[in-house]
Amino acid sequence: MRGRHFVYDLVEDTNVVKKPGMKIILNQFIDGVGETGDVLTLSPAKAYKNFLVPGLAVYATPENIAKYKVDENKPKDKSNFSSPYVQRTMRCLSRLVLQITMSKTEPWTLEPWHVRTSFRKAGFVVPEDTITMPPVKISGPDLSLQEKEFYVTVKINNKEEVNVRCRIHHWATGLEKLPWDEFHWKKPREPLIPEQAAELANIPLA
Amino acid sequence: MASSRIQATVRQLSNTFKKKSRFDIGIASELPPAYKKFWREWKVLKPAAVHFIPQESKWKRDELTGETLPVQNVPIPLKHPAEIHEGIWGGEAVIKGFQKRSDQRRRVPHYWVPVLKRTVVRSEVLNTHLSVTVTDRTINLINDHYGFDHYLLKTPACDLVSMLALKLKKQILIELMNGCPRYANNPQKQKEIYNEYKTYLSSYTPEEIEWYGLTWYEALSKVAKQKEAQNKPVPLKNIYRKKLVEKLKAAESEDKNDATEEISTTTSWLSKMNPFGKKDEA
Repeated sequence: MRGRHFVYDLVEDTNVVKKPGMKIILNQFIDGVGETGDVLTLSPAKAYKNFLVPGLAVYATPENIAKYKVDENKPKDKSNFSSPYVQRTMRCLSRLVLQITMSKTEPWTLEPWHVRTSFRKAGFVVPEDTITMPPVKISGPDLSLQEKEFYVTVKINNKEEVNVRCRIHHWATGLEKLPWDEFHWKKPREPLIPEQAAELANIPLA
Repeated sequence: MASSRIQATVRQLSNTFKKKSRFDIGIASELPPAYKKFWREWKVLKPAAVHFIPQESKWKRDELTGETLPVQNVPIPLKHPAEIHEGIWGGEAVIKGFQKRSDQRRRVPHYWVPVLKRTVVRSEVLNTHLSVTVTDRTINLINDHYGFDHYLLKTPACDLVSMLALKLKKQILIELMNGCPRYANNPQKQKEIYNEYKTYLSSYTPEEIEWYGLTWYEALSKVAKQKEAQNKPVPLKNIYRKKLVEKLKAAESEDKNDATEEISTTTSWLSKMNPFGKKDEA
């Protein structure tokens, strides 16, 4: 045999071929995934890594289908949410400490568009009409507000409501500028409106 | 005339002469049939086609000329580096050959090496997670067999290739033979696991499991050790000591019989000798 007898051609690279989905059965309730006995069809790599190795699911063998009494025609109970991603959005918003930057020198009254702008600065596009302002009128500049917090309510998809923790920061330049408070978003603050105190205590501060 | 006779002799000799296999030489001739069975499964059986696409039919017709040609399905020669035994590559191995990258250029030497990744496999029988080096094919095979243990137990040794997989398979078989002692704290689970995997035990006897997954040298040294343990040499000093003790005992009993014969009564000149007496006394 000579070298010319060992010239090979690549016919197919099986590592880069898309693999068909694989069926697995959950053997316990997993938040955001499903309940015991639910059948998932996933890519083999994901199913293996995320469910089979940790022991959260089993292979859809005939024995396991009988064991977990799988009913594939079972109607999926309709979720009450307006979109599949709304829970994630709600979680993100409830984690947020919204800094509302207001002038330290010019007089102002807090309005929805201030809140909308602050949301946009924090990376959330929130239309004005979905924001419910606190029941009292907040106006400044008033440095005592710096140590207070309140919440606004945001309505997502005209259905779900989230309370977002807000704090007012007085902004100025030069010597007027307030000193930097390290990790201010982690520190607990007094509620501005006594009626909101209970609700604010419910929102976890990261 | 003569040449035909020579030919006949050659034919006859070639029929009667049997080349010595590796099981006929030296201590290897004492290897048990259990190991021969494993060896057959490991080295003699043809592994599954992994690196080429086998053609089904026995013959095929050349489309242009209409000529009928035999289908050969020659497996590509594979290289088995030492690292293959530290992972479970699912039958994949290294291919050494040439690539013809362009018609205008000379062929280029090339090694095709499988894409290796480290992942976790779960063995139900052993009740552990193991971190092993695998290929995508291994994971696919595990999924196709509905689990790592099923994959190891169902796949013949020639397809597992790696020593790691063979040793694990042996351990799993031993575990099953002993009735899954690792689940001793949970009898219900133990029973479930045992019932799921017990079908695989039917194709092995305990002796075959004992000899499963041994390399050639491990098997030879096992035979040598067994042989050594069987005819362990007894030191001669032990034998002689035993004989001496017996002799002395016999002598003692004889002595008792002859106790009446006092030394003083004997008339031997030796008894009159007193080596510790004074010189002039003697």
